[in-house]
Amino acid sequence: MAPPPADYNAAAITVLEGLEPVRKRPGMYIGGTGSEGFHHLLWEIVDNSVDEAMEGHASSVVVTLHADGRSASVVDNGRGIPVDLHPVHKKPALELILCTLHSGGKFDGKNYRTSAGLHGVGSSVVNALSEEMTVTVRRGGFEHKQTFRRGKPTGPLVRGAEVRGTGTTTRFRPDPEIFGVLGFDGDTVRERLEVTAYIHKGLRILLKDELKGENSEFKFDGGLRDYLTLLCKKDDRKPVHPEPFTVDRELLALAGTDKESTVRVECVMAWTDGSRERFACFANGVPNPSGGTHEAGARDAVNKAVRTYIETHDMQPRGLVLTADDIREGLVCIVSVFVADPQFQGQTKEKLNNPEVKAVVDQAIRQALEGWLNQNRTAADAVVTRVIQAARVRVASRNVEDQIRRKSPVNNRLNLPGKLSDCSSSDADVAELFIVEGDSAGGSAKQGRDREFQAILPLRGKVLNTEAGTLEKVLKNEEISNVVCALGCGVGRDLDVSRLRYGRVILLMDADSDGHHIATLLLTFFYRHMPKLIDAGHVYLACPPLFRIDVGQQAPRWAASEVERDRIIKKLPPRSTPEVTRFKGLGEMPPKTLYETTMDPKKRSLYRVRIADGRRMETEQLMNDLMGKDAKPRKREILERMAMVDELDAFAG
Amino acid sequence: MDPVDLPLDEAVRERYINYALSVITARALPDVRDGLKPVQRRILYAMYVNLRLTPDARYRKSAAVVGEVMAKYHPHGDSAIYEAMVRMAQDFSLLHPLVDGQGNFGSVDGDNAAAMRYTEVRLQPIAIELLSELKQQTVPFRPTYDGQHSEPVLLPAQFPNVLVNGVEGIAVGMATRIPPHNLREVIDACVHLIDNPEATVADLAKKVKAPDFPTGGEITSTADELLAVYTEGRGAVKLRGTWEREQKGRKHYVIVKSLPFGVTKSKWVAAVGAAIGERKVPQLVDVRDESSDEMRVVMELRGAEDADAAVAWLYRQTEMQDAFHVNLTMLVPTERPDVGAPSELDLRETLRYWLDFRRDTIRKRTEFDINELQRRIHILEGYALVFPILDEVIRIIRASEGKRDAAERLMDRFGLDDEQVDAILELRLYKLARLEINLILEELAEKRAAAEKLGAILSSAEALWGVVRSELLDVRKQHGVARRTVLAGQTAPEPAYSEHAYIVQEDTIVVVTQQGYVKRQASVTGVEKIRVREGDTVGWALRASTVSTITFYTNLGSAYTLRVDTIPATNGFGDPIQRFFGFADKEAVVAVVSNDPRQLPAVDPTVALEAEDAPHPHVVAVSAHGRIARLALAMFQDVSTKNGRRYMRLEEGVEPRDVVVNAWVSVGTGHVAIASLFGNVLAFPMAEVSVLKGAGKGVVAMTLATTDSVFAVEPVLDPKLGPSVYTALGREEVVTPARYAGRRAARGKNLFKRGHFAVWKRSPDIRLGKAAVGPTDKEES
Repeated sequence: MAPPPADYNAAAITVLEGLEPVRKRPGMYIGGTGSEGFHHLLWEIVDNSVDEAMEGHASSVVVTLHADGRSASVVDNGRGIPVDLHPVHKKPALELILCTLHSGGKFDGKNYRTSAGLHGVGSSVVNALSEEMTVTVRRGGFEHKQTFRRGKPTGPLVRGAEVRGTGTTTRFRPDPEIFGVLGFDGDTVRERLEVTAYIHKGLRILLKDELKGENSEFKFDGGLRDYLTLLCKKDDRKPVHPEPFTVDRELLALAGTDKESTVRVECVMAWTDGSRERFACFANGVPNPSGGTHEAGARDAVNKAVRTYIETHDMQPRGLVLTADDIREGLVCIVSVFVADPQFQGQTKEKLNNPEVKAVVDQAIRQALEGWLNQNRTAADAVVTRVIQAARVRVASRNVEDQIRRKSPVNNRLNLPGKLSDCSSSDADVAELFIVEGDSAGGSAKQGRDREFQAILPLRGKVLNTEAGTLEKVLKNEEISNVVCALGCGVGRDLDVSRLRYGRVILLMDADSDGHHIATLLLTFFYRHMPKLIDAGHVYLACPPLFRIDVGQQAPRWAASEVERDRIIKKLPPRSTPEVTRFKGLGEMPPKTLYETTMDPKKRSLYRVRIADGRRMETEQLMNDLMGKDAKPRKREILERMAMVDELDAFAG
Repeated sequence: MDPVDLPLDEAVRERYINYALSVITARALPDVRDGLKPVQRRILYAMYVNLRLTPDARYRKSAAVVGEVMAKYHPHGDSAIYEAMVRMAQDFSLLHPLVDGQGNFGSVDGDNAAAMRYTEVRLQPIAIELLSELKQQTVPFRPTYDGQHSEPVLLPAQFPNVLVNGVEGIAVGMATRIPPHNLREVIDACVHLIDNPEATVADLAKKVKAPDFPTGGEITSTADELLAVYTEGRGAVKLRGTWEREQKGRKHYVIVKSLPFGVTKSKWVAAVGAAIGERKVPQLVDVRDESSDEMRVVMELRGAEDADAAVAWLYRQTEMQDAFHVNLTMLVPTERPDVGAPSELDLRETLRYWLDFRRDTIRKRTEFDINELQRRIHILEGYALVFPILDEVIRIIRASEGKRDAAERLMDRFGLDDEQVDAILELRLYKLARLEINLILEELAEKRAAAEKLGAILSSAEALWGVVRSELLDVRKQHGVARRTVLAGQTAPEPAYSEHAYIVQEDTIVVVTQQGYVKRQASVTGVEKIRVREGDTVGWALRASTVSTITFYTNLGSAYTLRVDTIPATNGFGDPIQRFFGFADKEAVVAVVSNDPRQLPAVDPTVALEAEDAPHPHVVAVSAHGRIARLALAMFQDVSTKNGRRYMRLEEGVEPRDVVVNAWVSVGTGHVAIASLFGNVLAFPMAEVSVLKGAGKGVVAMTLATTDSVFAVEPVLDPKLGPSVYTALGREEVVTPARYAGRRAARGKNLFKRGHFAVWKRSPDIRLGKAAVGPTDKEES
């Protein structure tokens, strides 16, 4: 910044007169001097005509893009801009409006209740930024005409010939000094005018593009409903209910100011088979691509109304939480509000900022939507079905995501269950995981293991039976989910054996009936949800000893089978009296012995669990019978086998 | 060692079957012979044999028993063992508790027992009947889990404990649920079966009439139902609590004296209390648990006459009435003495198994006793042999080199065997006195007689059964008690249960809004004070009683009727009508009628009854296409399904479709005043409308031009009044009979050629009766 001059006094203060500030800082008024700003000039003039239409004074607007590509004219059949002398300023109103900032008929809410233009800068700004502008007013039976250059009248208002009807014609050419070589783009203009026609139901807008030699006419008697149909067609989506929801209400709003004002809310919406939600929001006929308070209000309303309906009619699916996103999935919603005093973010009206609008829109839509749902059961059922479906899809896909997340190597170590005592090696070819029954045995295994390559995961109590129940439910079980986490290879359809952290997954259970039960429960889980682990030969059963042989003061010996027991006894010195006890729990053994008998790769014996070829059907049937919900086949199987089992002594435990 | 491949199905089958069999044979099911699960048996055994906690012993800490059982016999958690023992000590769990507990052993209120370091136990006398014959080697033993000790496979039960104390358990693929029975009845059945080996289940069920629960109550199953349960070994026994009336001063009470077996009293009392709080049982005012050692739950009644209704509610809506699902699955003996096999038995089989076991036990006991006697007799015979020749004996002993030598010489000389000689050599010198010698001879005679007597028992099956029988009767005499659970059978009066009786009867005001929100309020100070949503208005506010109904007549010709008490009482906005009924799309309420008789118009006796089977009052409805229907209101006053009832058939296939414009209640007086959309007006007497017998199209009310339709229609009693309608330009027209009277089905008078009616000013239907009504508990029904 340059230092202020020495004589910085009143004389140094510049006051920009009239429309000068607009030409000095055009960006402040029209958002910029690029193509958007250039087109904005046209929107200002069109909005003025549409405002007339909104008040019921005009029924058609004709926009002409002239052959030079740079000038445009807008004709409406409204009341025409007043041309009489202003009582204070002693100038024709037309000249005042066009040559003075902050002049116009839209301030006191008497002539215009709601309008797009609001600061009274619209037409004067256009005037200021136009190389030339001619306004023709048909009013009081005569034509009145005045021409301006760069915001200044080139002459007085001239009363011309007698005419019938009323209306205003504005022709202007934006100033190249400001905008350079820009011109109007026919497509942009057409799109905008089309949207405008949708919002103003029944308004006829005619576009004459002289450059291209094309004429387009827009008139939609269905208004926003027609627009909704168009949006659905564009996105290639179909509503799930035939009739869209519509509401058009005018409600009192307590504005930030002291005075009360009304807000008109028009909304059309439909749930569709599309996967996204789409909001199209307008304030006083101006699209607000970034939404704003009206969009926020509509979102809240939809959310609450649908929830209320679901609750009132007890349609809430059990175990499924519906989020706001589920409720709005596939929703196409058009909200158009008319506010007395709109506040936009940016002169290009990106976003509506009026805080009071949110509550008004919310209230208007919520009540009407609740009523609509109640009174249109077919549609309401379709909507609720759609919402529940969205929630189901979300839950399902989130599960997949969870599994993917679990697989990612970054989280791998961090996500491991706290109970896991991991091994040093991360080489799956040598690493082993012992899944051990109970903390008592877990302690022995942990102390006795070779921590280089043997990891221990103790489980508490009986594991969940996973034969029935969805994967989702199964994974809620802490013990099972610990196993899945520790293995690191995902589960269900996402199972990726190459990510398995341990080449050998060894089930180490007590050699009693409860240990057998836990082993079957775990094998069921692997069979149902990680079958590839079994196919690839990664699942093993350990063989802990069955007998303990004590001889005098010597250290006890262990035998894994009756044959081995007898061999040990035979080898004993002839006079010794061996005491044989059945071995109960792994916790009974000192850690070192557990290692030597059961875990040491050189001495232990392991069973590798495979699904025998040609017995897949039988295996499936057996798992179903023994672990399934129906008790009858289980009972039959048990009774059949009862006679065949010899090892009945073992049941004494 | 390299791993061995093991097929999954084999691995799972082997392990699972092992587990299942273990649970079935050694955990969850009782043996038919002693009625005990392994954990119970081990506790009793350890208490009797290891700790000697007989009924006359001092109590010992529960922890000592649990520790002993866990260490030697039952390799499972301590809490499981303690809980099993606690149950055996609870007089509300077992009909004849086997364990005598000192300290807090829990209660029917679901309280847990004190920790095992506090409580103390010993055996109950009746438990000795399960244990005392152990010493006579009557039952097989097997090594314990670790091979260090041995334990009985079952206990020599001297009464059918399986039926007397009952048991419940869930195994794998099967479960058991045996109710407790009265000891006397069960023994009577046993005796009957001994005397009549061919007795059927029906015969036995005359003795064992029904379960007998320690918590009392009454069984309402009939004898036939109970017989079916005992024949099938399965089925439900209906059980309910008992009660009596009581009066103190002006207050009346129902005193609940017992609850069904297994019901936790405190939870039940809480549930009843909550129901009273929510006014679900207006007959009950309060509930208090005054139980001490006997149950006494006091329910205060609203009035003396409410007892039956209150009890009916308690039976129907609470656990005071329950069913016990019997499943007589238990382990029965197999060829292997140490293993039982599960079997579903009937009553006869159960008793048969037990009796055979009892007979075998007595035989073994007798054999053991005879054996003992024989050994004693043998020795006594030795004495008897040497006493007459004592001097020689003494001489031989004195001459011998030592004990062994003496023994050999004596054997050689007198033909005695080792045992006898041993006994002789161990004799104390005082035994040689004359009197002592006589005593021995007496004993010999005695023992011979005893052995002979016992031998007689074994000599014939009859004798053996005779012993079984008499011993059973001894047990009956010693331990039998009267039945606790009353057999109410068919005679049990079931107090009448009628949903109606539990509606709190009060006057209320039902509010229905134009948008179809329904609620009720106790009182309304003014229509404008009723809370409605923004943009909604009150359409109807009607007085009604909670025990009456309210009917909603819709534009699609359906009538839906609701009990007034099911409408939410709220100061909020109420619920949408669609919550209660399955309304079609765009279906809307056009009329609401309170069916409370006090709110219906009085029938004018001067008006003739048009149709005998369709008495006044009537509901009258007019459709847009100009039809009018009139039917008996009574057809729609009962609660309807969600789909409602049809009251008017509307013309179909014509667009716009016909809808009901208005409906109301009529007693046949006054006029019907109609304004059509395009300006025709007509008023005709109600009496001209014939009465339909059921839902129909009705008759023509007003003849309309093709595109015209009924715009407004109202009943009019005062000829100077009528519906108030406005044209689009704001011109008001009141369609009064006084000005526009005509005949039914006429075209009416045309008021204008162009334009149409736009607004029908309807005042809401407000019938608040007298001033605001507060709740009145007992007015008139």
